[in-house]
Amino acid sequence: MNPWIWFPILLLAATFLPRYGLLTLYKDWRSAKEREQLEDALKHLLDREQAGRHASPESLAGTLDLPRAKITRLISDMESQGLIETRGSQLHLTAEGTRWAMHVVRAHRLWERYLADEARMPLSQIHNAAQKREHTLTEAQLDELDAALGHPTRDPHGDPIPTREGKMPSAESQPITARQDEGPVRIVHIEDEPAIAYEQILAAGLRLGQVIRIIERTPGRIVLSDGETEYRLAPTVAANVGVTPLPESEIAKTNAVPLADLSQDQHGEIVMLDDSLQGFTRRRFLDLGLTPGATIHPELGNFFGDPRAYRVRGTLIALRKDQAEQIWVRPV
Amino acid sequence: MENTTIQPNDILTKAETLRGTLSTSFRDEIVKSLYSEAEHIARRAVKTAKEKKYDLDQKIDRLVTSPITGLPIMLILLGIIIWLTVSGANIFSNAIANVLFGIGDWGRAFFNQIGMPWWITGFLWDGVYLGLAWVVSVMLPPMAIFFPAFTFLEDLGYLPRVAFNLDWLFKKTGAHGKQSLTMAMGFGCNAAGVVATRVIDSPRERLIAILTNNFVPCNGRFPTLIMLATVFVAAAFPPALTSFIAAGTVVSVVLIGVAFTFLMSWLLSKTILKGEASAFTLELPPYRRPNVMRILYTSLIDRTIFVLWRAMQTAAPAGAIIWILANIHVGDSNLARMIADWLNPFGLLLGLDGVILLAYIIAIPANEIVVPTMMMVYMGAGMMVNGPGTSAGIFDLLVHGHGWTMLTAVNLMLFALLHNPCATTIITIYKETKSYKWATVSVLITLGTAFLVTFLTASFARLMGWVI
Repeated sequence: MNPWIWFPILLLAATFLPRYGLLTLYKDWRSAKEREQLEDALKHLLDREQAGRHASPESLAGTLDLPRAKITRLISDMESQGLIETRGSQLHLTAEGTRWAMHVVRAHRLWERYLADEARMPLSQIHNAAQKREHTLTEAQLDELDAALGHPTRDPHGDPIPTREGKMPSAESQPITARQDEGPVRIVHIEDEPAIAYEQILAAGLRLGQVIRIIERTPGRIVLSDGETEYRLAPTVAANVGVTPLPESEIAKTNAVPLADLSQDQHGEIVMLDDSLQGFTRRRFLDLGLTPGATIHPELGNFFGDPRAYRVRGTLIALRKDQAEQIWVRPV
Repeated sequence: MENTTIQPNDILTKAETLRGTLSTSFRDEIVKSLYSEAEHIARRAVKTAKEKKYDLDQKIDRLVTSPITGLPIMLILLGIIIWLTVSGANIFSNAIANVLFGIGDWGRAFFNQIGMPWWITGFLWDGVYLGLAWVVSVMLPPMAIFFPAFTFLEDLGYLPRVAFNLDWLFKKTGAHGKQSLTMAMGFGCNAAGVVATRVIDSPRERLIAILTNNFVPCNGRFPTLIMLATVFVAAAFPPALTSFIAAGTVVSVVLIGVAFTFLMSWLLSKTILKGEASAFTLELPPYRRPNVMRILYTSLIDRTIFVLWRAMQTAAPAGAIIWILANIHVGDSNLARMIADWLNPFGLLLGLDGVILLAYIIAIPANEIVVPTMMMVYMGAGMMVNGPGTSAGIFDLLVHGHGWTMLTAVNLMLFALLHNPCATTIITIYKETKSYKWATVSVLITLGTAFLVTFLTASFARLMGWVI
């Protein structure tokens, strides 16, 4: 038999082999690519809707960086699957489309949580890594990941993670006028409607992220203070300032110093572990006995001054400066 | 009748809603309560007298981690261990070699007597057996001294202090402080060092430790370094100082290797293993009185015999190949000589020669046989030989007989330090990483470094007119 006969046979086999053939591989690659594009499109629509704007084929083409012809095909594809509706030039997510988009956002943010906490990837890299991985998980796998991570509510950037039912936890802000106690709160939202109230709030000098407390409350006015300046607002205007109570951790931090700031043999009581410390590293610290309430002191330095060894619960534990800065202590 | 049974789903939903109301630090609270419970029990059950030992521990710790004395103490301990290994190994090596080579002579004589063909006798006794005997006699004594000494420090609790002292350097290169422990293990055997990287829990930092472990010279490479240090460096000093000078030279080579470890770790962190140093926590356990029996067991059975057995498995075939190369004659030359001649131009470019490169190719399975293979080819022998008995004899053979210079000696030391891992280590790297890619990378970066560095030193020395 002519040995050359094997050449076309092998070529055919390599192309059409059921699982590992080139054709199958290409098809798999194609369908993965298509799913990626579709999911990215859904995410874009969701993004726009949450920002209160509408998505259009143009905005979609810009975000996905695809030619118009492909965008048109993608849109008609999504329409026929019942994921979106077009009204004029506006694109809207259907209920089914929203659910799917939420799934992708959930996948993205859970991945980020995992990469930051368990794989301990630097924060600057997790977004791109999650961008690649968010398309690969099924709902069931995502639930497993969610449970393994302990049902986190926020991603490492502080954005909320949607629930498995596809609901985005609200930003939990309430008008400052609804606050009854005097505790410190953080401004997380300033309503821009009506404009006249918005102007007044800005003119008074309040801004997003500021930590304030209410120091006086009468039917005629509300007086707020950030510790240095006092702000007076009419209650109707103040109702447009959305606040959220400071997390306990923020309050605890106010009279604590980082462990790294203790000097040799100066004792301190651990107040809390920083919120930025999550997942594997936090568990490791807790396992080592670095729990709130434990007393600790730096005992050993070395030639380079970093790391230092700390005595806690009778054992010596060496921590780098970066980690010691994430443990808050009260000097005693 | 109204039926209000609770469905599993209701419980899940309830849990789901309750979860949202949990304070974010509830896990901390759980651990805290576990600890306070443990403290409570401990307070009732454990009586603490004011311990003297605790104070002693602290005093020792202040000394061995102090900014002033910490690093010198570390260097002195390293020097002592290497000196013990160098000077002690010499005595035992000769004794073991005498016995094993004696058996070889007897076996050869026996085979000749019963009329075996010369090539069976040669292949078995001068090839396979000699390879085995050589590896055992060269490798066993340093390991049997080094591993117990190392295990002693490990058992004492000193090694974590080394990691503590050096961690800052590792942090700056994007690596993990515990890498110093795996490097210390690498002195014994790089394959063992690669396995030891399991203590590093960040995958990226563990890979760095694996890929750079080979820059720490293992026991198997000590003989080459010791021979060169004795013949080329120590010869200039009074005989009484020989072992100290040899040990000092080996320590310097080791420090160069450590410098390359940091450099390569940094390069890897910047390129293929991009990332920043992750969290580092290290417990510094209290010092313990070393347990002699455990030290002997761990170091001799778990480590020495284990490593030796693996080396023997690779040395036997290597011995066979060496014998074949030396005994297939082509014209008035043999195969080994021919390959060496063919490699010679490239060897000279690196400040080495063809024989050295040939020895390193044959020695991929086990680095212990580099020196005997070189001697075999230089002396035109049909089997591995010990070379001239004295330093002066070796010096004469290499320098006057085969054109060695100080550059050859220095570059051979560098090449021995930097070249590719032995076969056992490569296989271990594959097993630990489960990846052909990383096993290949480990060879490429070490061999690349070795070629580059020797080429640069050779070119520099020639440029300066120190050698021709």
